[in-house]
Amino acid sequence: MRHVTVEVLANVEIMPGVFLLRLDAPEIVEHARSGQFLHVHSGWALDPLLRRPLSLHRIGRERSARVAGTSEIGGGQPSLVFGRPNPGEIEILFARVGRGTTLLAQSMPGDALSVIGPLGNGFSIEPKTRNLLLVAGGLGIAPLVALADEAIRREMTVTLLAGARSKDGILPAGLLPPEVEYVVCTDDGSQGRHGVVTQLVPELLDWADQVFACGPRAMIEALACLRLPTSKTVQVSLEERMACGVGACLGCVTPTRKGLQRVCRDGPVFNLKELQLL
Amino acid sequence: MNLSVSLPLRQGGQLTLRNPVMTASGTFGYGTEYAKLVDVERLGAVVSKATTLRPREGNPQPRIAETPSGMLNTIGLQNIGVRALVKEKAPIWARWSVPVIVNVAGESVDEYARIAEILEGTPGVAGLELNISCPNVSAGKIPFGVDKNAAAAVTAAVRSVSSLPIITKLTPNVTDVVEIAEAVVDAGADAVSLINTLLGMAIDVRTRRPVLSTVTGGLSGPAVRPVALRMVYQVAKAVEVPVIGIGGISCAEDALQFLMAGATAVEVGTASFANPMAAIEIVDGLERFMLQEGVDDISEIIGVAQ
Repeated sequence: MRHVTVEVLANVEIMPGVFLLRLDAPEIVEHARSGQFLHVHSGWALDPLLRRPLSLHRIGRERSARVAGTSEIGGGQPSLVFGRPNPGEIEILFARVGRGTTLLAQSMPGDALSVIGPLGNGFSIEPKTRNLLLVAGGLGIAPLVALADEAIRREMTVTLLAGARSKDGILPAGLLPPEVEYVVCTDDGSQGRHGVVTQLVPELLDWADQVFACGPRAMIEALACLRLPTSKTVQVSLEERMACGVGACLGCVTPTRKGLQRVCRDGPVFNLKELQLL
Repeated sequence: MNLSVSLPLRQGGQLTLRNPVMTASGTFGYGTEYAKLVDVERLGAVVSKATTLRPREGNPQPRIAETPSGMLNTIGLQNIGVRALVKEKAPIWARWSVPVIVNVAGESVDEYARIAEILEGTPGVAGLELNISCPNVSAGKIPFGVDKNAAAAVTAAVRSVSSLPIITKLTPNVTDVVEIAEAVVDAGADAVSLINTLLGMAIDVRTRRPVLSTVTGGLSGPAVRPVALRMVYQVAKAVEVPVIGIGGISCAEDALQFLMAGATAVEVGTASFANPMAAIEIVDGLERFMLQEGVDDISEIIGVAQ
């Protein structure tokens, strides 16, 4: 856990209202794992006051041997090439939803941001796992791409199911590592399969050694209702309002079988079986 | 240059802080959570998360809401209970040289005294801050801190069983804070700290419901600072015991305003969420101010604006 000032390298609106922010953050990368998050201050003023917890979307580690998953985006502005971040760089994927993220969306290359991180426990891939099934609802895809990168680096097979309300909420396939099997579905049928993402999970359960999920509460609850075989562990990354981000204020607790747990410190990744969902 | 301040105690002696900057209860956990980011030994004192007699679950989500230059919270005193605190946290504090003040919250006068009895003689516990002002518990019940007799009764009950320094923490949600302050001082408080959070609320216009699960919550952060400063000024004028200023302090200049209003020390709370180094930076900033202004002893500026 470090409290550092990092430089914005790029900030591009890659989907309507959704931004890909690249940061030069070697001190963070050094200790970072997929599933962890950064606590980001949107500015240097006292309003808005609180930091925003944002998942590590991609973690730049070794220089990739080939240019993987590269695509040109950002129509009107100087065209920016996004691929895997370079070593020491971090990518954050976030939606402009309130005052804090609106300010963050305005960050320009060269700007400085105050970040605390990496925070939280992160995902854990079990030693025998070969096949990973990732289930993303909306921007829940953010931490799962870092996990996919890690799994592919370790020569595992990854299927990523991504659901959104419409095609505007679907991360372009070109921004993912090409090795990922990417299956898309939308509530309105505007892209990929028509319907919710959790409907696709049962047919892949035999194949998957481990399941990882991140998305809205309704998606997590739907996943819990699938009655998955007890042999499969399902790791779920939760989102909650946070103040401190380090486990002190108890603002972000969630009920579990072990009692109230702090999403920021005991999570954000929990075993689905441990969660007490309403 | 001397940054240290002393709180003289009723039963003799004093509680000496190496500088007047403390952390505020509920914003710094048990001091251990921030240990990787903040050198707690540079603080004047650490005030722990409130402890109750038995462990408490606290309130349901949502517990926090951001507001202009501030935030609302309704944690509801979630804590591990005083016995776990004595067993698990106090031994860690006993190894620190920075004093740790335990914030105490009870549901009855007897419960405050019972908690104080359990904490009596515990190595690592340097003092008690009596939380008679949490707005987020016992729905329907009135906090002790809004009634001068109840506030005095809690303070007197703890005084009768404890040899530790007693700081009674006051609520701003009253008509006349001076009257409450005088009552707790008469009842034996060694010092008073103020303010706790202001009662507030927020509504989500999309869901058309209050944001917080308990409807109302406690407002803190820079938004409350002028109200806190006014109350500290009034109370410091009226009482003989040290006053500890709390409320929206996020930089050295804020802290200086409270010291000049008459506070002997300050507590830094919500600012730590935005900047975990806020309290330490305030210590550095006070030092810089004293150097620039030729102030040799911090006591020279305490109450100068009165």
